[in-house]
Amino acid sequence: MTTPYLRVRNLTKRFGDFTALDDVSIDLYQGEFVCFLGPSGCGKTTLLRAISGLDIQTHGTVEQNGHDISALPPAKRDFGIVFQSYALFQNLTVARNIAYGLENRKQPKEAIRRRVQELLELIGLPASGNKYPSQLSGGQQQRVALARALAVSPGLLLLDEPLSALDAKVRVYLRDEIKALQRRLGITTIMITHDQEEAISMADRIVVMRAGKIEQIGTPLEIYHQPASLFVAEFIGAMNLLPALLVQQGEIQLGQTRLACTVNGFAPGTAVQAAVRPEDVVCTGRTNGHANSFRAEVRDLEFMGPFFWLSLSGGELGEHRLRAQLPSQRARELDLRPRDSTHLHIPAEHIRLFPEGYSHG
Amino acid sequence: MADAAVLAPPRIRPRLSRDEWLMGGGLCVLALYLAITLLVPLVIMLAKSMQDRDGVFVSLANFIKYFTNPALTGAIGHSLWVSALATLIVIALAFGYAYALTRGCIPFKGFFRLVAMAPLLAPSLLSAIALIYLFGNQGALKGWLFGESIYGPIGIVLGSVFWTFPHALIILITALSTADARLYEASESLGASRWRTFATVTLPGARYGLISAIFVVFTLVITDFGVPKVIGGQFNMLATDIYKQVVGQQNFQMGAVVSLILLLPAVVAFFVERWAQSRQSSAVSSRAVPYHTKPRPVRDLALLGLVSLVALVILGILGMAAFASLAKLWPYDLSLTLRHYDFNTADGGSWTAYGNSIEMAFYTAVLGSLVVFSGAYLVEKTRIAKPLRTATHLLALIPMAVPGMVLGLAYIFFFNAPGNPLNFLYGSMAILVLATIAHFYTVSHLTALTALKQLDPEFESVSASLKTPFYRTAWRVTAPMCLPAILDIAIYFFVNAMTTVSAVVFLYSPATTLASVAVLNMDDAGDTAPAAAMAMLIVLTAGAVRLLHAGSSRWLHQRTQAWRGC
Repeated sequence: MTTPYLRVRNLTKRFGDFTALDDVSIDLYQGEFVCFLGPSGCGKTTLLRAISGLDIQTHGTVEQNGHDISALPPAKRDFGIVFQSYALFQNLTVARNIAYGLENRKQPKEAIRRRVQELLELIGLPASGNKYPSQLSGGQQQRVALARALAVSPGLLLLDEPLSALDAKVRVYLRDEIKALQRRLGITTIMITHDQEEAISMADRIVVMRAGKIEQIGTPLEIYHQPASLFVAEFIGAMNLLPALLVQQGEIQLGQTRLACTVNGFAPGTAVQAAVRPEDVVCTGRTNGHANSFRAEVRDLEFMGPFFWLSLSGGELGEHRLRAQLPSQRARELDLRPRDSTHLHIPAEHIRLFPEGYSHG
Repeated sequence: MADAAVLAPPRIRPRLSRDEWLMGGGLCVLALYLAITLLVPLVIMLAKSMQDRDGVFVSLANFIKYFTNPALTGAIGHSLWVSALATLIVIALAFGYAYALTRGCIPFKGFFRLVAMAPLLAPSLLSAIALIYLFGNQGALKGWLFGESIYGPIGIVLGSVFWTFPHALIILITALSTADARLYEASESLGASRWRTFATVTLPGARYGLISAIFVVFTLVITDFGVPKVIGGQFNMLATDIYKQVVGQQNFQMGAVVSLILLLPAVVAFFVERWAQSRQSSAVSSRAVPYHTKPRPVRDLALLGLVSLVALVILGILGMAAFASLAKLWPYDLSLTLRHYDFNTADGGSWTAYGNSIEMAFYTAVLGSLVVFSGAYLVEKTRIAKPLRTATHLLALIPMAVPGMVLGLAYIFFFNAPGNPLNFLYGSMAILVLATIAHFYTVSHLTALTALKQLDPEFESVSASLKTPFYRTAWRVTAPMCLPAILDIAIYFFVNAMTTVSAVVFLYSPATTLASVAVLNMDDAGDTAPAAAMAMLIVLTAGAVRLLHAGSSRWLHQRTQAWRGC
C-alpha cells in the first residue's frame, strides 16, 4: 500500500477542562475525498482547524507529504480553505479575489491574469471577473471562494461546511460540481459536513465522529450497510431499532417470531438491539413464500411520492413498531390499507445486532 | 514498554508565524503607548495625592485636610445635586424628543434631528455665555428668573442641559428605534390600552438605553468644567475646584485629591453604563420585526409641540451666542459689527489660538484614528497573547471614566516631572494632541471594534492559507471595508479636539493656546463678546467639517455601493 499523504496521529485538543478532540488518528491518501461527518459539537471542525494550523492541537502530530507540520502556523502549511460564510473580500472584484494568493508570489501580471481566467472558466463563471461578490448568488460566491483557494495549487483542500449556507437545490447542484472538480484536479480534499446525504454522495471515505472521537472510518457503502456502532447506524439514514433476544447463534426472537441473522459475537440469551433499514423490509402482502417472514398489521401509510412509509405493529410483531419503505409501484399492486394484515420479509444479511443499553448521545 | 502508554504525549508548542510576532510586537507597542499616555500619569497622580509640596509621603494627610475643610467638601454635594438635577431634566426632554423622532408621526424629523445635534459642535462654554446674555445682569430675559441669579446652580443646570442634550438623545434614539413590532401587535391584540403598552413594552424595551443615557449625562455634567467656570459664580463644584487649586493656588496635591474624589462618581457611572450597554445589545433578537409608526393626531400634536419648543430653545441659545458675537456693545448698541472677531483687542484670544486649534484638531483626527484603528485591529485580530489583548482593551476603556480635568492634571504630574525623558513634550503641541487622543479614546476604540467585528472573522484564516501577510490584508481589505467607521472616528476626534477645554486647560503654553481655551480666558477677562465670537468660530468650523464629512461619506457610499450590494 502507498504511504498516506496526510497522517494524523493521536490528536487531542483541550479547551480548559473540555476535551474537544480525543486521541484521533486518521490516514488520508493522495487524491482522496474524505468527509468528516457528525452532529454539531462532535469535534469535526476542531479536527479541521488542527490540520490547517488555525487552532493547533494540544497533543498529537500531523504529517503532510512526509513532513511533520504539527506545530507550524497556517502560513507555513500547504492548504487551501473554503468556509461556509465564503469569506470573500467584499471590496475586491471576483478576479482580484481569485488573484489574491497569486499576487503575493511575485508572479508576472500576465501570468496571474491568465491563471485567473483559467480558474474562472473552471468554475463556470468566465465573464464574472469584474463583478463584486455581492453581485453574485450564494452558489456563485462559493465557487469563487473555491477558485481562490485552488489558485495557488495547494496540496490539500479543506472545505468547512461549504454548502450549508446555500438553498437546497443549489446545494445538490454544487455538490456534483465540487466532486467533479475534485476528481479532475485530483486534489486531496477534506470536507466537513453534518449532512449525511452530502457525505454519502460526495466522499470516497467518511469519518463519522461523535464527542471528539472517531466512531467509524469507511466508504459510504460500508458506513451505510455495516455501521460499526449503534450511533453510526442511527445517524446515517433511517433505521429501525428493535429490542430482541438472541436465542441461539444466528437466530433472534423478535416479538412472537424468530428470525435468522448472520451476525454473531453475542452469547445466546443476550438481549440485543436488532437494526433494520426500512428499505430492507420487504412487504409481500398475502403471499408468504419466504423464509425469515412474519405477519404484522398496517397502522399507517404515508405517501412520499416515489414510496410510502409503512408503520407496522401487532400480529407477530406484538408491541414493536416497524417502519418499512414500500415503493409506490409495489404499493399499488398490493393495495394496502390501514389495519390490513400483511406478510413481511427481512433478509437475514440485512439484520444487524448491537448490544442493548446504549444511551443516545 | 507498557510504561510508554501511561506517559502523557508531549504537548505541542505551536511555532509562531511572522504575522504573530509582528502583531504581538504591535500589541506591546500599543500597550506601552496607552500606559504612557494614560495609566502611568494617573498612577502618579494617585501618588501625588499622598505627598506634600516637597514630595514627601504624607499618607492620607491631604485627604484629611480636604474633608475637614467645609469650604471644599461643599463642592461634593453641589456637584452631586446639580448633576442629578441636570440629568433628570435632560433625560425627560431627550426621551420625549427621541420618542417623537422614532415613534411619532411628525413632520420635519430630519430638521429636528439636525437641530438637536447642533450643541455637539459647540464647546460647553458657549451655552453658558449665551445664558449670561439672556439671563445675566444685563440679560434680555432677566425678568424670567423672578429675581434669582443665573450665576450659580440655575445657570449651571441650564447650560449643562443644553450641551449634554444630544448625547442623551443619540443613546435614546438608538434604544427606541430597536423596537420589535411583534410585541406591540401582541399587546394590542390582547386589548391593552396605549398607556399600558407604553409602560409594559416601550419603557422596558428602552430601559437599558435610559440607564445608559442617565449615567452618560451625569458623568458629562459632573466632570464638565466649562459651564460652571463661566456661569457658576461663587458656587463651587468639583471640576472648578481642581482648576482653582491648580491654577489659582498652585496647590497640585490638593488638586490631585479633588481629582480622585471626582474620579469616583465617574468610575461608578462607567461600570453601570458598560453593564447597561451589554444588556441593551443583547435585548433585541435577530428575528425582531421592525416597528412602523401609525399616526395618532393628539399624541403627534403634543410631540410636535415638545420638539418644536426644545428645538426653539436650542436655536435660541445658538442664535443668542451668534448675536452676542455680532452686537456692537450689548445691550446699549445692538448694531451689527464684525469687530469682536478681531481678537487683537481682547485679552487672551487671537487668531493664532484659532489656528492652533485647527492644527491640533487635525493632528488629533489623523493620528488618533490611526492609533485607535490599528489598536482595535490588534486587540481584535491578534491570535496570541490573550492576557495582553485583554489588558490593552481594558486600558482603552479607562478614558471613559476619567474626567478631562483629571487627565490634564495627571499629565502635568507625569510630563512635567524633571527626570522624565518625555519632559520635552511639556508645553508643546504634541502633548495637547496626546492628551486629546487619550481623553476621547474609548468611544473611538469601541466604534472601531464594532466595525471590525462586523467583518467575516475568517478573512485572516483565508489570508494565512494564501500565505499573505496580515498587514497586506489589513491594508487591502480590512481598512477599506471599515473606512466609514474610520472617517467617523476621525471626525469625532476633530470636533472634540475643537471644543474640549477640560484636559487641555492645564497643558497649553503661550505658544499653543487654543480657541476653546481662549473663549474661557477672554470670558474670564470680561471680554465676553469676543469670547462669544471665538465660540461661534468653533461652532462654524466644527459644522463645516461635519458637512465635509457628510459629503465625503456620501461620496464614499456611492463609490463603494457596487461592492456593498445596496
